[in-house]
Amino acid sequence: MSYAQRETPILAELCELLVEDIYGELAARVFSVLARHGRQTLSALNKASYLNSRQIKHGLVVLIQQHLIFHSASIEPHAASYEIDWQQAYGLVRYGRTLKSVEERFGDKAANVMSNLITLGHTRIQDLREAYFPPHTEESASGEEGANGALGDAKANGSLFVNGDTGMNGHANGTAPPKLNGVKRARPSDEEEVDGEYEDRVEDKTIKSVAELDSIIYHLMLQGWIVKVEWTQYLGPGDLHDITRQEAIESVNEGKLPHGTKEKEAVAYGILRRKREIRDEWLNVPQPTTRKRTSADSDLSRSNKRQRLAGPNNWAPRDDEVIVLDENLTIRANPEKMTVALRTDILVRLVRQLVGHVPATVYETMLRQIEANTPRCYDEWADPPPADTAAMANESVDARFLVTSREVAKNIDPSIDLLEGLDPHGIVLMTYSTSHVDKKGNIVPPIDPFNLSVDARARLIDKHITAIANHPFRFATWHSRAGFSQWRIDFPEIALSLIQHEIETTIAAGNERDKKYGVKLIRALKKKGKLDERQMGNVMMMPAAEIRSVVNGLTVRGFVQTQEIPKVERREAKHSFHLIWYDRQRAREKLLQDTYKGMVRALQRLKYEKETVAGLLAKAERTDVAGNEERWLSKGELEALKKWRGVQEKVLLQVSRMDEVVAVLRDFCGPLVSV
Amino acid sequence: MATDSQRAAAPAGEALDSVLQQNKIDVLYDQCAKAPQGTLFFQRDLSNMAVAENLNELIVLVQELVDMQLMKPMTFDGEPCWKLRTRQDAEKLRKLTSEERLLYHHIDQAQAEGIWTKALRLRTNMTPQAVNKCLKSLENKDLVQSVMSVKFPARKMYLLKHLRPSEDIAGGPWQSEGDFDMALIDTVSRIVEQLIQKETCVTVQPGYNNYDRSEAIAQKKAQRRAAQDIEDAPAVKPYHPPRHNKPRLVLSHDPKLPTAASLLEQIISLGIIRDKVIRESDMEQLLDMMVLEGRLEKIGATYRLALRPSDVEEGMNGFVDAPCGTCPVFDLCGDSGEISARTCVYFAEWLGTESEVV
Repeated sequence: MSYAQRETPILAELCELLVEDIYGELAARVFSVLARHGRQTLSALNKASYLNSRQIKHGLVVLIQQHLIFHSASIEPHAASYEIDWQQAYGLVRYGRTLKSVEERFGDKAANVMSNLITLGHTRIQDLREAYFPPHTEESASGEEGANGALGDAKANGSLFVNGDTGMNGHANGTAPPKLNGVKRARPSDEEEVDGEYEDRVEDKTIKSVAELDSIIYHLMLQGWIVKVEWTQYLGPGDLHDITRQEAIESVNEGKLPHGTKEKEAVAYGILRRKREIRDEWLNVPQPTTRKRTSADSDLSRSNKRQRLAGPNNWAPRDDEVIVLDENLTIRANPEKMTVALRTDILVRLVRQLVGHVPATVYETMLRQIEANTPRCYDEWADPPPADTAAMANESVDARFLVTSREVAKNIDPSIDLLEGLDPHGIVLMTYSTSHVDKKGNIVPPIDPFNLSVDARARLIDKHITAIANHPFRFATWHSRAGFSQWRIDFPEIALSLIQHEIETTIAAGNERDKKYGVKLIRALKKKGKLDERQMGNVMMMPAAEIRSVVNGLTVRGFVQTQEIPKVERREAKHSFHLIWYDRQRAREKLLQDTYKGMVRALQRLKYEKETVAGLLAKAERTDVAGNEERWLSKGELEALKKWRGVQEKVLLQVSRMDEVVAVLRDFCGPLVSV
Repeated sequence: MATDSQRAAAPAGEALDSVLQQNKIDVLYDQCAKAPQGTLFFQRDLSNMAVAENLNELIVLVQELVDMQLMKPMTFDGEPCWKLRTRQDAEKLRKLTSEERLLYHHIDQAQAEGIWTKALRLRTNMTPQAVNKCLKSLENKDLVQSVMSVKFPARKMYLLKHLRPSEDIAGGPWQSEGDFDMALIDTVSRIVEQLIQKETCVTVQPGYNNYDRSEAIAQKKAQRRAAQDIEDAPAVKPYHPPRHNKPRLVLSHDPKLPTAASLLEQIISLGIIRDKVIRESDMEQLLDMMVLEGRLEKIGATYRLALRPSDVEEGMNGFVDAPCGTCPVFDLCGDSGEISARTCVYFAEWLGTESEVV
């Protein structure tokens, strides 16, 4: 079963809070019944809750639309069972971040489309087109409302996580139905800043035609951010396993149940292969039809920039052609891609903290380049590694996962001062400059950092990458000399380091003693394995008495375990080994569950804070007051409103930062079997 | 008469003999003392000195020396041999009681490894009180010393006064009196840091590359104004002053990273550690400890400083920055009840709001 699909009580609580927050009480009630009772049929659901069957069906529709639950309707049509998709349910917390990532990578318009797709759940292309460009007849407008019932729920509740404009096209598109035109109150501060910056470019955000909408969707599909909806996506892990097993037995073992290790192994491989095939199918982008550009399209002026962004494997339509997607194609956002983007962000932040600003920017450029070809962080259905590692070493690396310094030099933000953080003597050498370094360490005459040849830039960048590669985390690994120097990024190894780093950071945040010695102790145990007190003292070069108190503190916090092994038959303290050990997987689990709990508490607190200002909020959200707060609210009320927004912002920001911890601990590599 | 005279002569002869023997003993002792201290004498060495006339006499002489504690009988490769003691030591030893001598013998045998009191008791079959009494008197006579064992912190080990305790019981150069010498470790590790820094890093001043960009920017701005379409114009970034206004430490261009051996050489040449021998393995122990502390980074067999950018504030992670991450009652906190998110004092403090009063 998937590592993230395991359900724990605290995760269930967290997801219930998220669902209630975004999709309202009804959906949350149904969700919570499923969370408590596990996989259920519709009639069992009826029995287990106080809701009537009509309400339950409404709730299920919302949950299914958002892919928050699996159902087996496609394989057992009469008594389909429903079960929660925990990964997707937890993914609700990442919605705001998804939009930000899309905006950073593909611009405002793409973010706008993504935002609507997330709000609507999975959507037919046709519905999305209609939502953007509603037909002007009354009937079809009301029909659309019915189709998107989920949206009504989301709106009514004032979602906290889908931030930015939910109005289909912002304020610019006056034809959008009024109910879609509200601008959400809740948004973290960074979003707000971004908004301020782009205020004058609102016009730019507007998608002007169906053709442009289609091309944006197509582009996001090529990049893997949007995937098509397939019936297999609705199968729970158990159902999927059953189906693939059946197929594997048919194809590998001629329909007989496997006997003996050899057959069983062959079938196991067959299952994994089949699962991979099914999953990879989701990512296939259906070839769109094209039509000639007509005079009506002439104003859509897709910028040159977008075409360049599309990357080498992208099929960019010719200038006189327009992409037309199949109107019956159903699409949804791809949460796995979001995790990949999140990994990029986390790695870049970490490099910024540990190595420096310029190396971090260089690293970001490298990672973004690989990102387009990375559908997921790790393959949970990968074949087990072969027994002999020699064969692994010979395996060539896919060229799409390699980055050369020269490519980075071409793609990196040109306003970055690449000279920063390097030895001036080295700078002079690497730029082949006629300048020299004087006694004080200054370069005379100074070098213009923004007017360097591509070769010089590649050399400088290579130096920065070397710095990243030499860090104990091995953020990059040298691969070959192609393109000045070619690098690959060994994600599985880095993921382990990240987990370790996260655990260490958490330990360091304890008291003064843990900060000073706890981290050292954990590192010593990680390096040496189980140790007794005396060996511990030798490795840490500290008196045993001092170590004892550190060990006690960490044992209480659950990061370190102690073990007693008797040397003689009697179990006596004097005649026993007392070992101290540290299990990374156990510490990882512990920290993960604690982080979930921290998120739950933060959201509960936010709920409480909201209750305390409920009256004020009701007033501020009245349609006549909203937008004219200064006019209708007293000074005290304005103050309180401002404070509430500050509180909300702070808590939500913290929740999203805790989400980063969860991502590091859970999403970047599978369970660690042996430490 | 003859018998009388014989009788009278016999004691005189014996006296003479004993004087002669005493002389010979002294001669033999002096002969041996000429050799460097600590030399082992085998039978052939002693007979080569030609003090005794025959083997029997030699045996008598040596036995006499041993009895006077001037010689210590030993075996080397199964062959008996002897070692010389100084006259003062012998004097002290002669004054010991038999029990004390027995203990001394056992302690002597243990040499630099030392011997545990309990082991002494087992070997001598003496009562603990007697052992303690004798050991105390031996200590008072400056013959033995007691050392705390590093391996077994509760054990008191005894060894001869003039011996230096072996590493097994006294620990390496970083330990003194059975425990790690934190002050020494601290000082040496700091010096190591300085040495590595001097060797592999350069300090870069803030204005090291004082390129005047105003002209280029003006040019670009002009270009932008001239450009018809915003899309075609080169991006103009506002000039921001260099991020660093303090000198910063960066790795030099082609650093020669030091190894444990090269660092050890420098430490020794600085002459800051006296009376202690540091070996390469001791140095590695210290350096690896510094790696654990996050002060150094190990690359292959070489070490370098763990340079952290100074301009980035070291943020904790999202979990521990929130009140829950460091909450003392985190495990007691529930969805409702006395300790919950609604009543949390830490949240109240963090957000600057009021909590529900229970």
